[in-house]
Amino acid sequence: MLDVSRVQKELAECNRDTAISGVSIALHDGGSDLSRLSGTISGPVATPYEGGTFQIDIRLPSGYPFEPPKMQFVTKVWHPNISSQNGAICLDILKDQWSPALTLKTALLSLQALLSAPEPDDPQDAVVAQQYLRDHQTFMATARYWTEAFARRSSVGIEEKVQKLVEMGFPEDLVRSTLESVNGDENQALEMLCSS
Amino acid sequence: MDDDDYYFDESDGEYGGSSYSLEEDHGDDLNDLLVEEPIEKIWTTASVISAESLLAAQKEVLQNVMSLLLINEQQARSLLIYYRWNVQKVYDSFERKGKEPLFQEAGVVISDDRDLDILGSSTAVITCNVCFEDVAVLDATKMDCGHLFCNDCWTQNFIIRIKDGERTIRCMDTKCNAICDDVIIRNLVSRKDPCLAERFERFLLESYVEDNDNIKWCPSNPHCGNAIRVDGSNVFEVECICGFQFCFNCSLEAHSPCSCQMWKLWVQKCGDESGNTDWIIVNTKPCPKCKKLVEKNGGCNLVRCRCDQHFCWLCGGACGAEHTWSTIAGHTCNSFTQEKEMNFLAVKQRLQRYMHYFNRYMTHADSLKKENTLNENIQRKISESENKNSVIKDYSWVLDGSRQLLRSRRVLKYTYPLAFYVFGDELFKDKMTPEEKEIKQHLFEDLQQQLETNVERLSMYIEKDFYDFNDEQVMELKYQVVNLNRVVNKFCGQMYKYIEDDLLEPMKHAVHRIAPYSSGGPNMLLQPSSSSGNSGDS
Repeated sequence: MLDVSRVQKELAECNRDTAISGVSIALHDGGSDLSRLSGTISGPVATPYEGGTFQIDIRLPSGYPFEPPKMQFVTKVWHPNISSQNGAICLDILKDQWSPALTLKTALLSLQALLSAPEPDDPQDAVVAQQYLRDHQTFMATARYWTEAFARRSSVGIEEKVQKLVEMGFPEDLVRSTLESVNGDENQALEMLCSS
Repeated sequence: MDDDDYYFDESDGEYGGSSYSLEEDHGDDLNDLLVEEPIEKIWTTASVISAESLLAAQKEVLQNVMSLLLINEQQARSLLIYYRWNVQKVYDSFERKGKEPLFQEAGVVISDDRDLDILGSSTAVITCNVCFEDVAVLDATKMDCGHLFCNDCWTQNFIIRIKDGERTIRCMDTKCNAICDDVIIRNLVSRKDPCLAERFERFLLESYVEDNDNIKWCPSNPHCGNAIRVDGSNVFEVECICGFQFCFNCSLEAHSPCSCQMWKLWVQKCGDESGNTDWIIVNTKPCPKCKKLVEKNGGCNLVRCRCDQHFCWLCGGACGAEHTWSTIAGHTCNSFTQEKEMNFLAVKQRLQRYMHYFNRYMTHADSLKKENTLNENIQRKISESENKNSVIKDYSWVLDGSRQLLRSRRVLKYTYPLAFYVFGDELFKDKMTPEEKEIKQHLFEDLQQQLETNVERLSMYIEKDFYDFNDEQVMELKYQVVNLNRVVNKFCGQMYKYIEDDLLEPMKHAVHRIAPYSSGGPNMLLQPSSSSGNSGDS
């Protein structure tokens, strides 16, 4: 029996200061199941993850908050403690160091902190950890590239939007520049294209 | 003897050298003559803790720690669970580190006030940091560590932890290492789920066995409910009061002079292959790649092993996958070659070697079974003889002889798996030079053979129906039995000594330690005399 009242309170409390904290939680796919949530954290500044927005799948076991929530990155991320294959996370508070007095928000903030301060000695992804330790430059470049490629909200599905507008008969160059100017907002771009 | 190289340390690292027990209830004076110059010994003692005395035994240890450190029972228990019920370790840490760090490490918090007065009157309201609800102070509990949560949350947490089988439940606050007071846990849980509270209480009681390196449950099946405590070396054989004999180290049947590892491997091997060995030789061939035995389940002579290696069924040699019904591409084996023959012979030889040891092992195991029945009949024979009109009234020598027969039969039985491993390549490849191995094997087999001969002779005499004998014949029999008893016992002792000193010791193989020989067999334990389980002596 999931503590529904606590989860509801947590959601409200977490989303109150999203702008400052950089983390937010919503129901998964806009559904109504409180045990399936979707978290978002913004990449911390001065890290290769800066500018990225990372989606995290959250599943609450029936024993929550007495058992830790299950969290997994949906957005692909290049990080020693996060699997580059499936987004599994190696973080103590999500395992044996969980305490019922912690919240989803604190867990997400810890994930954010993990992005800033990787722990390559306790890796989830051995390949990434090796690279982090032996070839730091390549690691930084790869992490930055992955952030650009997978975690840029504006770039999500941009090709699809371009294709759609091109199919409507607009020249590709114009479509790209217009989309860029409106930060990828498809409707706004269409409006601009039509009025020009 | 260089202990450090050979014996692995147990928890304390203070023990070295072979273990030896002076707990020989059934040994006779002969023993004094047999074990000349005992090598350094650790005193290993064992005792039974029955289900009923478990609580008392635990209480005694708790009392010790409570009075030394001036703490309550819950705190003492937490501390002891952390130190795996090793009182000595608690004391050592106490002396080395002092009270505070000792408690802190184990998650024990000593607090002077647990009252909620500071929070104001009974109508005061607090916010629980787990459910985020406002609750009356009366419905909240503060642990020794000072963290306060509502009773509902505590209870739910305890229930989940207990269902997970946890014995030490820590405070719910972040990064708080403190262990919750088990009295509070039981009180809160029993309000909601009395059965679970009882289970928790049982957990705590059983922790004395489960979290204790010196105590193990008797592995008898069905379980007799007893636990065995051994102080000293873990490599020690005991007989529980339920009659079950076992090795305290691995909880399997008493198997000396085989080491625990050898015995495990042997059981596995026999389980895999026993009785089937003949069939295996006739019907299977080893895969040339993974060496696993492959059975041909039909089709042509090109066989594919599970490891994906193809090979020719006729010669057992590896080959490609391409073939017709009658030929395999690029492979012929109809002409005789020495090399292939050698290969085949090596496999056959390995199997034959195993068969040799296995057959003899089984023969002694069978004899042991029969002699066990014989042993049961002996009492009947004795009472018949005692009722006879004769001057001879003392027949204890028959019992002694019979016991010695069983004992040495066991030793013989286990020397075969031992020899299989010590002189084979599986565990000790290249540990001895071929010449060294040959000499040692020779000596060992000589000893084994002498023991075997004398055990068979003893068996023959013990089997005699002496109640039909006249006095003279009985005296003659007695002489033989007593003499053979002595001889067999001597050979057993020598055998153990030879195995320990000449076979295992020089290999510097710390894992292969064997339980010491005692003429009476595994140390038979007695019913605990008082409720005390900590006296160490049986």
